[in-house]
Amino acid sequence: MILSRSRLLLSIAIKHLSKRTRQTLVAVAGVAVGVGFFLAVSALMIGSQNDFVETLIDAAPHVIISDELRSPTPQPGRLAYPGAAIRIRGFKQRTEVRGLRSWQEIVRASESVAGAIASPSLSGAVTLRVGGREEPLAVVGVDPAIEARVSTIEEVLVAGRLRNLETTQGGIIIGEELADKLGVGMGDIVGATSARAGTRSLKIVGLFGKGRGGLSAGSGYVLLREAQSLTGQPFVINRIGVKLSDPYAAEAVAASLERRFGYKAESWQERSADFLSLLLTRNVIMYTVVSAILLVASFGIYTVVSNSVMDKRRDIAILRSIGFSEGDLQGVFVAEGIIVAVIGVIAGFLLGAVLLVILGSLEFTIQGKVENLPLDRSPRQFAIAGLASLVSAVIAAWLPARKAARVDPVDILRGAA
Amino acid sequence: MSAPPLMSARSLQRELPGDPPVQLVKGIDLDITAGKFVAVIGPSGCGKSSLLYLLGLLDRPSGGSLAFEGRDTLPMDGDARARLRLERFGFVFQFHFLLPEFTAIENVLLPIRRLGRLREADARRRALDVLDSMGLADQAHKTPDKMSGGQRQRVAIARALANDPSLVLGDEPTGNLDTANSARVVEIFRDLARNQGRAVVCVTHDNDVAAAADQRIHMRDGYIEGVD
Repeated sequence: MILSRSRLLLSIAIKHLSKRTRQTLVAVAGVAVGVGFFLAVSALMIGSQNDFVETLIDAAPHVIISDELRSPTPQPGRLAYPGAAIRIRGFKQRTEVRGLRSWQEIVRASESVAGAIASPSLSGAVTLRVGGREEPLAVVGVDPAIEARVSTIEEVLVAGRLRNLETTQGGIIIGEELADKLGVGMGDIVGATSARAGTRSLKIVGLFGKGRGGLSAGSGYVLLREAQSLTGQPFVINRIGVKLSDPYAAEAVAASLERRFGYKAESWQERSADFLSLLLTRNVIMYTVVSAILLVASFGIYTVVSNSVMDKRRDIAILRSIGFSEGDLQGVFVAEGIIVAVIGVIAGFLLGAVLLVILGSLEFTIQGKVENLPLDRSPRQFAIAGLASLVSAVIAAWLPARKAARVDPVDILRGAA
Repeated sequence: MSAPPLMSARSLQRELPGDPPVQLVKGIDLDITAGKFVAVIGPSGCGKSSLLYLLGLLDRPSGGSLAFEGRDTLPMDGDARARLRLERFGFVFQFHFLLPEFTAIENVLLPIRRLGRLREADARRRALDVLDSMGLADQAHKTPDKMSGGQRQRVAIARALANDPSLVLGDEPTGNLDTANSARVVEIFRDLARNQGRAVVCVTHDNDVAAAADQRIHMRDGYIEGVD
């Protein structure tokens, strides 16, 4: 019964629209262009955002636990007399041993999260020396087998392999840029000096490219053992990088590790909070612009339905006299808006798909690498565009349709007689 | 003595707001009975069309009472009145008032489909039967602009009869027709009352229509001057 009624109202709406083809087509085109460009713009914005976030996520381990504390531990003198009335000054400061104590336990705790891999490392400062040139270097000692699974260094190496650290005694991997500065290349020997352990000779067994993977030009990789002896900190670990199977769990994992061990555990979100807030602003701008496009499209629907109501005042009176209710008439004209929107959305999906194919085929050369635009083709965007158009169409059609329902048949009949 | 009236109006009034308000219908008492063809006549502006719109529940009275089959129609909401028009009333106007985009049979199907009691095949058969009874079976698939004035008016009558109404209301139904077509419409209206037992109320200027009616209500300045 209700179905047959809506079918009847729909058939009247279709008849009305088919008699005003041009206006209907303009309104349909408006919706189609709105939906199409919504899809293209949001695919670009979300695609580039995902690409960017992926880079942020993969640049470094998802969680990094370092031997720093958010706030320094209170000195024993303070702990012994909490709230003491006398202020003690000049007591001997206890020297904290650097490094993560019981780091094996932290590694075990980190790896208890499903799919997580933890890579312990030691970083310290050394000076690289070649001939008369000196350059500071943040050296990171790693276990190549584990580190390769946690970070993306392997991918950004332009020469050599991470494994070379194991096969070559005293091997080091540094950035291309630094190597250029020092005037050295693969296989060359450099001197490394640290404050605690004097000078050693290291052999360059790998180079990583510049501007990639968030590695700074001033860092270098050696074997963990090498770093410990180089910086005079045997058996010490001061940094654990954790890679998670779900990067978005990083904040929770970091918080629980920090609560348990007291050391600072930083998630990738915390590290890149400023970038993430930038992305939020970008999204706000995007949705504002595309909503404006969809809003303009709904003006077209308003015009079509509004003109239709004006033209069909006589028909409205006839239908009312036959026994159609006010709601029926409103339904007819809202249906007109919905028909325009549905056709427009379908056409817009096609337009959007074509635009995505075109955008996807564009190629750009960035630093010698051919790249495509990152596009997000998820059905979610199609659903949002379709739904938003339908809702705005219903509102745009509802306003004039209300007028149709309020037409007084007697006024029309009296005027015509 | 006789069957209770189908519709009865008591002190029925209708005025348009204004300064001073315009009185269209001034306290009319009227009973409409099944099987009777009633003509409402009078000069232009005497309120006869206004009376018809009140009787057809298209307009709401400003005062008095109006009962259909003993039920007071005043408290009914718009939907209930629309429902009553759909099920029990049929309107025929001076101009054919067909929907121009729809063919003859589609026009006749409008009230049948809206009522929704018949399945599609039965609804079409019903529509075709009614058109056939108007001698229009061969015109069923033409749009109004392809038909003559007389044919259009008969399609309009067919549409009014589609849901088998108890009350048929005509507003100058012959006003735009030539003599031959007028005579045909008058004949149909008489048949609707005498042989099909419907109540027919017809507002008219046409003396032939008035002459054919069982009863003539003379109106002047919003009230009933006389009945014969």
